[in-house]
Amino acid sequence: MIRARMRMAIAKLRALWRRRQADEELAREIATHLALLEEEFERSGMSPEEARRAARHRIGGVEQAAQAHRDERSILWLEQVRQDIRQALRAFFRKPGFTAVAVATLAIGIGVNTTLFTAYDAVALKPLPVANPSLVVRLERWFANGSLGDAQYAFSWPEYRYCQHHQDVFSALVATSWPVRVRATLSGHRETRQLPALTGQLVSGNYFRSFGVDAKLGRMFGPETDGAAGAHPVIVLSYDFWRREFSSSPSIVGSLVKIDGTMFSIIGVAPRDFTGTSLLPEVPDFWAPASMQAQLVPGYDWLRAAKDDHFQILGELAPNAGLGRAQAQTAALIHQFSRTYVSTNPTLNVTLQHTAFFGNTSDPRFQAGVAAVMLIVLMVLLVACANVANMLLARGAARQREIGLRLALGASRSRVIRQLITESVLLALAGGLSGLALSIAASRLLREAVVRMLNAQLGSSFAFSLNLSPDWRVIAYALVLSVMAGIVFGLSPALQFSRPELAGSIRDETTSFGGRLHRSHLRNLLIAAQVAVSMVLLTCSGLLVRGLIRSQSASPGFDTRQVFLLLVDYGDNAAQSASVFHRLVSRLQKTPQLDSVAYGRGPMMGTWTPPVLVHRSGAVNGVEHGRTLASYASRNYFRTLGIALLRGRDFTRQESAAGSHVAVISEATARRYWPGEDPIGRHFQLDLHFNGKLSEYEVVGVVKDVRFANLTRIDPAHVYLAPNPQGTYPILLNTGMNQHAALAAIWGAVAHVDRNLVSSADLWNAQTMLIRPQRTLARVMALFAAGLALLAIVLSGVGIYGVMAYVVSQRTQEIGIQMALGARAGDVLRSLALWGLKPVAAGMLIGLACGAAVSAVLHSTLVLPGSSDFLYGVHYYDPLTFLGISVFLVAVSLLASLGPAVRAIRVDPIIALRYE
Amino acid sequence: MPIQILQGTLDLMILRTLAALGPRHAYAIATRLEQVSDDLLRVNQGTLYPALVRLEQNGWIQGSWGRTENNREAKYYAITKAGVKALREETERWRQMAAVVDKMLAEES
Repeated sequence: MIRARMRMAIAKLRALWRRRQADEELAREIATHLALLEEEFERSGMSPEEARRAARHRIGGVEQAAQAHRDERSILWLEQVRQDIRQALRAFFRKPGFTAVAVATLAIGIGVNTTLFTAYDAVALKPLPVANPSLVVRLERWFANGSLGDAQYAFSWPEYRYCQHHQDVFSALVATSWPVRVRATLSGHRETRQLPALTGQLVSGNYFRSFGVDAKLGRMFGPETDGAAGAHPVIVLSYDFWRREFSSSPSIVGSLVKIDGTMFSIIGVAPRDFTGTSLLPEVPDFWAPASMQAQLVPGYDWLRAAKDDHFQILGELAPNAGLGRAQAQTAALIHQFSRTYVSTNPTLNVTLQHTAFFGNTSDPRFQAGVAAVMLIVLMVLLVACANVANMLLARGAARQREIGLRLALGASRSRVIRQLITESVLLALAGGLSGLALSIAASRLLREAVVRMLNAQLGSSFAFSLNLSPDWRVIAYALVLSVMAGIVFGLSPALQFSRPELAGSIRDETTSFGGRLHRSHLRNLLIAAQVAVSMVLLTCSGLLVRGLIRSQSASPGFDTRQVFLLLVDYGDNAAQSASVFHRLVSRLQKTPQLDSVAYGRGPMMGTWTPPVLVHRSGAVNGVEHGRTLASYASRNYFRTLGIALLRGRDFTRQESAAGSHVAVISEATARRYWPGEDPIGRHFQLDLHFNGKLSEYEVVGVVKDVRFANLTRIDPAHVYLAPNPQGTYPILLNTGMNQHAALAAIWGAVAHVDRNLVSSADLWNAQTMLIRPQRTLARVMALFAAGLALLAIVLSGVGIYGVMAYVVSQRTQEIGIQMALGARAGDVLRSLALWGLKPVAAGMLIGLACGAAVSAVLHSTLVLPGSSDFLYGVHYYDPLTFLGISVFLVAVSLLASLGPAVRAIRVDPIIALRYE
Repeated sequence: MPIQILQGTLDLMILRTLAALGPRHAYAIATRLEQVSDDLLRVNQGTLYPALVRLEQNGWIQGSWGRTENNREAKYYAITKAGVKALREETERWRQMAAVVDKMLAEES
């Protein structure tokens, strides 16, 4: 039975492709049939003429028989789909211009969306490069004080060992540390040389085996390395590092590398695909056994300290253990272990999170951000869809006769709708494929841009692990999006044109005066929505462009050309690095080629905005709360940067060295907390660690307001504190006029203090490394916004033009009559243009409101003193921008709607009246 | 007045014709059906050809091009092994069905 059905289905599918041959055979069969009938009739005494007629009469409709035959031998609906597709393709090739514009419009919409999805896919959906990614989970802890972030993934080695020994829900449990930075010297067979600063990960011995990662070269280390501490000085290189540093030389395996005085041997290279399991999109340079921690990170004992949270724990779920049971057991184990030590911030719960390249993609803040961006680009796609719908509507007007004819000839309505939907889905698929190609190119560019930006920020050794090449998800997304788009923009024209009453329209449907107006609601809605979206995008980009113009001339307010930042990696040993740091500082201070030397937070390098509390009689309850930027700054810091001291004094040598609780504040801070008073000698309190513990500071000086946290705005509040003696900071150097000699002297000083420091030290010019990237960022953002806005305005313009062209073509006869009756061209034109502008005006109002709302949201982020003001001080509801954009949009809409209107009034009334 | 062919019976009659007479072309099948029924059946080409396709796709008959006595080309249909088996089953089923219908009609009157 089943075999018979299969045979039938195969025969029918084959018939789909043998259509012409089958038709021809049938024709031959019927011809013979006719001939034989004729012979029979002739034998019965008819004349040949009569016989032929009788035979034809007898056999019935040949065409119907042929059609019945076709229906029988093939699968009806498939046959119809084939017909629909062929017909659609024919229609497309007949109108190549229309097709090209529609496909390009959709390609843009789908391309933008797919690019964004590619990025999201790489960040949140692509599985880790391990053997069974769907089974791998990451442990996440939830703290009593509710703090969120990377700390939630941090566990100590003893915790890991405890879980590993007592669990039975994972087939493997592995631990991997956060990246550690080390300095190394290669002692190879042929050469000995200093390597750049390396980033490594300490991992449990079962790491590679559990994840099914085999060596590309040499071998990987195994669980035996979890034994005695310090007994396995081996490392495995990442493919990326091997290629970058050793030009993929296979002889590197077996070489020795000296890290912090311990010789490690390179035993293998990881495969190319294995880019690590870190929370950050960075490929480590090497992996080492966790048991080597004391050698790699001297001065600590991570392997025994129950509170040193330096490891992430990843588990591969055992085949029979559900996620729920595994989670319950893990939480119980961590809880049991927590009784063995005292914690100020206990863990309440542990959950298991499915892993992706970023740890916190399930964070609602991340998801909200993604959703917001997705929404914006979806709007672009919607505009594109609305356009194509309008184009189809306009074109459909010309096709109404064809469709009416098909309906009149007996095609069912559903058949006609199917035909029209097939056309639009085909169109959308063509657009989707072009969009996919577009997005692949765009993703490549994006990755290149991100890598460059990160390299500029973090040094050239950064290996970016995100893979932005399209996988099946991206392709599926693009295809689903196109099919959905096809249905969205195809359905309404299809429904409209297949209305049964249109069957009567073969004759005279275009004569109706305004009788069709009710159906233009949808079109008006589309136009209004398009204009609204364009309006929002245009106002945003308008504001950003104005910000861009300001950003190019914005001055930080202090010297940047002569100021250099010396950033050195002193290693992870706190006490040792502080002593090296201070030796370096005093050496530099004694260097005569330098005008001034200080240390502290580098400008334009992120923000730290602790809560601040000021006791003051004028405030509510006598206490003023707020947030302020805070920076550590040594003595001579202001002199080095060229920030003028307005009142009071700089820190003394003693205060600076001891980290006394004294502060120099900015003018704005003084105005904000002590308006009209002298702030010198006043006190304020800072919650330095965001834990409610307040530290009191005394104001000793006031300095000029500058743009310090970022270039976008003058710091709203900023306190400079004497630095912590145990910390290490960027060293700020003012080279004076003779820069060349000064730079040489700096490097000399670094080498003098410790030769090994040279390789890990970066010397940044404040102008090129700190100011320029910000201007670049402003440019990139403005460009991005302008690009989107340009897309939107072009799409809207095309849309408005399409609708007007359609409407005017519908009303040509009416216009002809008006003209014939003596209406003036100007009046007709005006009424047409006004009619066309009505939905534009509605859309613009909505767009203005939405634009203002977006502005308000952006504006509200400025409450934090450290956040960037992307508008560089342009007013968020800048009337010039809002007004200018509105005028611009009206002009574009007028232009788009005037073209068809002018064409209509130029038509000779006689011709217009004859027009069908 | 010709009678309408009952749904599904045409296939059976074609199979029977081919089993009895050997390979025949469509015209001969139609003629035969009309003869047997004393011209009570008029076979419409719109149903005959689809039925032939259906039977062929089922693998019950096999068509091949040949020549008539007058040297006209025609497609000859022959019953296959599977067709013979199907004819047996279908005949049995028709008999049962007809018996049931007869019985019902007899009771009614």
